[in-house]
Amino acid sequence: MTWIIKQIRKEMWSPYVAGALLGVVGVLAVLLSNSLLGASGSYESLAGMIGKAVAPKLFSNIYFGISGPDGKTLVPGVMTAGITWPVILLVGVFFGGMLGALSSGTFKLRFNDDAQWKRVFGPQPWKRWVIAFVGAIILEYAAGIAGGCTSGLAISGGMLLAPAAFIFIAGMFGSGILTALIVYGRRF
Amino acid sequence: MTNYIIALVLGVFFGFSLNKAGLTKYYKIVNVFRLTDLAVLKFMMTALVVAMSGLYVLRGLGMIHFPTVPSTYIVGNLVGGLIFGVGMALTGY
Repeated sequence: MTWIIKQIRKEMWSPYVAGALLGVVGVLAVLLSNSLLGASGSYESLAGMIGKAVAPKLFSNIYFGISGPDGKTLVPGVMTAGITWPVILLVGVFFGGMLGALSSGTFKLRFNDDAQWKRVFGPQPWKRWVIAFVGAIILEYAAGIAGGCTSGLAISGGMLLAPAAFIFIAGMFGSGILTALIVYGRRF
Repeated sequence: MTNYIIALVLGVFFGFSLNKAGLTKYYKIVNVFRLTDLAVLKFMMTALVVAMSGLYVLRGLGMIHFPTVPSTYIVGNLVGGLIFGVGMALTGY
């Protein structure tokens, strides 16, 4: 028992153990809810929900579904707008991450405390915020094109042996390595 | 409703595993692209292997039906992946 508590309190697990846990979660998602894990799609669902409330005409398109004048969905879109299963999952992810940090005693409000980031971009928090904001737009846009993100396409698609997942992973690592090469230059 | 509770609980374990693997940290994500720390790759591939073995065994036993498989459209998947990698290496998310 004390051994288990000691393991849980560790800040960093072996990636194999944490990965196995995620694999089990992926299986349970299909077994219990017939759903796939995903993160990026929930932002789109939320954006679609807000968009449909604010500008129903603009958001009545093939991506979010075409709705009639009474607001009923006539043609379902690529993404379902509203509070969907992945949105709830994402709420859980937030608390799960928090729980992980609390269990290892590393829970802290941080603005920019990554030593490696500071070496490369400088210590100013605003730089971190600007790059994070722009980068997140790139991430979400790309996930929209590809049909998922690291979790929704690479892991969830990969575990069903979808070719899309492996094409995505190849692209992701290719350009990721190139970007790191440009950012880090000689320090690569 | 039950479905939402399942989502919440699974989400907690999902977030917990990400946190414990260190994938919530900038240097972990970016170092996999610098090929100096392959934790992200080990994490992803372990999850894939465990999940695909589990899913295919359960499907073989007739206990599950696969949900809609993410569709493959080569150019879109590849271009999306290429843009995604840029964002990932910049932000470390």
